[in-house]
Amino acid sequence: MKSNNGMIGKSIPRIGAIERLLGKPLFSADMELDHPLVLKVLPSDRHHARILDIDTAEAARVEGVVEIFTAEDIPRNHLTGIINKDRPLLAKNKVRSKGDAVALVAALNIHAAETAAKKIHVVYEDLPSVHDPEEALKNHASKVHEKGNLLFTRKIKKGNPEKAFEACAVVVEKTYRTSFLEHTYLEPDAGAGYLDPDGNLVIIASTQNPHYDHSELVSLLGVAPEKVRIVQAATGGGFGSKLDLNVQGFIGLALYHLKRPVMCTFTREETYRMTAKRHPLKMVFKTGADENGHLMAMTAKMICDTGAYGSYGLAVASRAPVHATGPYEIDHVDVECRCVYTNNPFAGAMRGFGVPQAAFAHESQMDLLAEALGMDPLEIRRVNALKAGHKTATGQLLNGSVGIDQCLEAVKPHYENALKTWLHGETDFAKQRGVGLGAMWYGIGNTGVQNPSTAHIEMDGEGRITLYTGCADIGQGSTTVLSQIAAAVLGISPDMLCMVVGDTAFTSNAGATSASRQTYISGNAVKNAAEKLADVLLTEGVDLLKRPKTDLMLENGFVVYKKDPDHRMPFSKIAARAAKRGIPLRWQGYFDPETVPLDPETGEGVPYATYAFACHVALVTVDVLTGEVTVHKIIAAHDVGRAIHPASVEGQIRGGAAMGVGFALMEEYDPSTTRSLKDYHIPTAMDMPEIIPIIIESSEPTGPFGAKGVGEPALIPTAPAVINGITNAVSARIYHLPANLERVLEASIQSGKFTMKEVA
Amino acid sequence: MLTHPAYARPETLYEALLFLKTHGIDTRPLAGGTDVMVDLRAGKLKSEYLLDISRLKELQGIGLSKDGLSIGAGVTISEIYNSPLVAKNAPSLIKSCAFFGSPQIRNVATIGGNVGNASPSADTVPPLLVHEARAVLASENGERTVALANLFEGPYRSGIRPDELLIRFILEPADGRFTDFQKIGRRKALAISRMSMALLADPKEDGTLGTVRLALGSGTPTPMRMEAVEAFLKGKRADRQTVEAGSRLMAEEMVRITGRRPSTEYKEKAVQGLFLRILAPLVE
Ligand SMILES: Cc1cc2nc3c(=O)[nH]c(=O)nc-3n(C[C@H](O)[C@H](O)[C@H](O)COP(=O)(O)OP(=O)(O)OC[C@H]3O[C@@H](n4cnc5c(N)ncnc54)[C@H](O)[C@@H]3O)c2cc1C
Repeated sequence: MKSNNGMIGKSIPRIGAIERLLGKPLFSADMELDHPLVLKVLPSDRHHARILDIDTAEAARVEGVVEIFTAEDIPRNHLTGIINKDRPLLAKNKVRSKGDAVALVAALNIHAAETAAKKIHVVYEDLPSVHDPEEALKNHASKVHEKGNLLFTRKIKKGNPEKAFEACAVVVEKTYRTSFLEHTYLEPDAGAGYLDPDGNLVIIASTQNPHYDHSELVSLLGVAPEKVRIVQAATGGGFGSKLDLNVQGFIGLALYHLKRPVMCTFTREETYRMTAKRHPLKMVFKTGADENGHLMAMTAKMICDTGAYGSYGLAVASRAPVHATGPYEIDHVDVECRCVYTNNPFAGAMRGFGVPQAAFAHESQMDLLAEALGMDPLEIRRVNALKAGHKTATGQLLNGSVGIDQCLEAVKPHYENALKTWLHGETDFAKQRGVGLGAMWYGIGNTGVQNPSTAHIEMDGEGRITLYTGCADIGQGSTTVLSQIAAAVLGISPDMLCMVVGDTAFTSNAGATSASRQTYISGNAVKNAAEKLADVLLTEGVDLLKRPKTDLMLENGFVVYKKDPDHRMPFSKIAARAAKRGIPLRWQGYFDPETVPLDPETGEGVPYATYAFACHVALVTVDVLTGEVTVHKIIAAHDVGRAIHPASVEGQIRGGAAMGVGFALMEEYDPSTTRSLKDYHIPTAMDMPEIIPIIIESSEPTGPFGAKGVGEPALIPTAPAVINGITNAVSARIYHLPANLERVLEASIQSGKFTMKEVA
Repeated sequence: MLTHPAYARPETLYEALLFLKTHGIDTRPLAGGTDVMVDLRAGKLKSEYLLDISRLKELQGIGLSKDGLSIGAGVTISEIYNSPLVAKNAPSLIKSCAFFGSPQIRNVATIGGNVGNASPSADTVPPLLVHEARAVLASENGERTVALANLFEGPYRSGIRPDELLIRFILEPADGRFTDFQKIGRRKALAISRMSMALLADPKEDGTLGTVRLALGSGTPTPMRMEAVEAFLKGKRADRQTVEAGSRLMAEEMVRITGRRPSTEYKEKAVQGLFLRILAPLVE
């Protein structure tokens, strides 16, 4: 189907935008249920300890308490986790971090629940705890899990880097570090549940993956799949953390036993304490280039701290090394990434799955090489940028959409202009200006594993069309984009579609809203379903209009004869006729990107079917006397394949840049001191630079109408660009994120900028 | 978790003071609540009563008299920021209010609460100190006036007695002298000062500095005047050498008073940086 009736590339009003403005969408915490019980989790206050006893007697006597659950009460499998199952819903025998849930109180009101939680007496026997992943790998280290602290290793090997380094004109070797980060989505985790008239468990929750939640609940409770229904509530952001089972399991457990409405709403402090963090990485990068700046070889040793549980740790530990080369062709590569358990808070998915960390390292290396060679940072990137026909470090031949060079080209005038004029503009005596670049690539979808999406489309007897998708819209606008794709195929306006989204009773699995995969993968599944329906409509049209199929098209709810648009037949007639003849009008769409699993020893394989590319330029000012940094402007070029909804793409770019500024300059979650927003700085409106989004459309042949993805790519180049900008300003580099006041001032002192020299 | 102290809202100052006379020891006055509510949520507030003083007229108002510039303890940060009287007589105080919290915070937070909370990083305090502010306190027994510099006993410990309320502050007007406030935060809004500084100086025609008053926030256990540095600068020309020497003395003084802590590594340098930044306009 080629027709797209102008629907693709059009920023139609976001589905649900008006409702949001009017305050109408139902967030989980706003659910009105009949006298719901409230749930409160008692978290562990030990890093690592055996549980000798949990005495709930006193707590149970608190007025208003209905029940107190512990691990004993979990009917079937107590372990949860999307990739590896290692996280108990409620701690059994031992706790591995201070956020582990130990007991669950169900009470008539929050006061009773909180009071009771405090009166649960847990007798612990402390075990030695380990908080540094390198320590955790030593022989004597305390074991976080029985099977040992090394969860996973990913290796990528190609050619012979050690030998290739010998022939390099320059080789740069540096160590980079990043910190734990907290997602800080607008809406703290929440959910509600009740029994429907048939006795099924209905759970409404803030989630990025209702179908995963469903499978997890079935596993925990040991009930038949049809007894559980997960409905995605309006969701106020997730950034990866709402891929885990944060409240859904507690709701299911209470509902299963108590059979009455329950609610579970985390406070901000609870989301900080009990949900996933971004993995801190330590990365030793060695990169070599010839005298023309051609990258010849690289090696990297990465270690990522997944804390007490795996969550998406395996995905992070796979993605970070796969992307370690950056969007550049390098013939000789040896990368290893180890994912390690510690007694820190567990780390999981967070926008970019380890690639933001890796990009900080590879983009710093690019600037260091450029400096050593006396090359311009943009030039060295252009020399090495991946092109169609190149092979990646995993041996994948790139043949589709590879838009990195177009991104570099697009930012070039801005970059050159900034270097020529802005950089030399007037500043107060303590300020230094700098311009920095950051580039990235990002594989769409999960890494070398199947991650299909499905969708259904249905036309009723009157020609009305309903699209069913399990794809969770968490604020990024996937519902709108999917409606545009279906509408484009069916030649109707998107508002003629009825959308049923994220409800396991009605929709089928679309996989997680993560890995920037929904436009590409669910978009394709929706397109596939719509095309099947379109084909039926056209085929039926042949009979009714007596014209060959190739001369027919779909337009505004009619099958139309192209040569005489007045010769047409409404969908309603076709539907009625098809129904009579027993021709199905409900179709399933399916799409799974073509990947090849990575070889465990060499990493050879095809991790992703397609990649997004991007480059940011950051204009920054550093106060060399205090370490304060101001980001003035970010020019952000993103190859998204095709922007189905350009305003949403720009929205992602702006939001990503905001998050990138936070990652670069201020965000740091310290497990021992960070309790809430008071101790954790995300950028405010005042910290935001001007952002100039540039959309590059290097059409992806396998994408729906050429689309790839942008959700995570949006954030990835920002921090490297800002860091390279700071380096440009103060002539000293920061190797540990965030580049906070202390680190920037230290850099300024190291490079001799900390003086009053320039006072007039 | 919110515990629930009893709430009382007196109509007049007199009523409030009577309440404090009996219950003072178990009571926490509540003005804008931007510190109190944070403590309450964190479970750090143990008082039995919250005494809402936010509507007491006696704590309102900004005025100028022969005594000086008077600012009621119940005046909000926004009101100060928008006051032409303050702009004319204490510009550095205006500046401390410009970068205070966020608009929402500024609209409810009061100057009395800022002083009452006695945080080392209270932003209005360094400007108040360089204006030699006096605090007027009242109890059912009557009023007393204390130099603000003598009101703080330690971090988060003020010398306000349980039966007292802050009524107003009286500042010595700038009278055309140079004043400024500078602050370092971890971000550009909603940031507690990592360090702050206020300056009041009187450069003479001959290029020497007359009066110099310097107050430091977030560098010492309570915000305080840095008298040794003031003495060093007084009567000297503000040339580069002098100012650089002053900045080093500033750091030495801070470390002498505060001792070394993990944060000293940064603050020792930052205090010099901030000092250079605040004095730069006076350097020849
Ligand atoms: C998000 C946020 C941002 C902030 N940003 C800043 C900032 O940038 N700079 C800064 O300095 N502070 C900041 N603060 C802290 C706080 O806003 C200030 O200290 C504010 O001035 C407190 O005033 P309040 O009226 O809200 O005081 P309250 O919270 O009502 O009271 C604070 C204390 O003072 C006592 N008190 C109040 N009034 C009187 C009185 N008349 N007599 C005796 N005792 C009294 C109270 O009992 C209490 O102990 C911030 C706070 C928040 C929550």
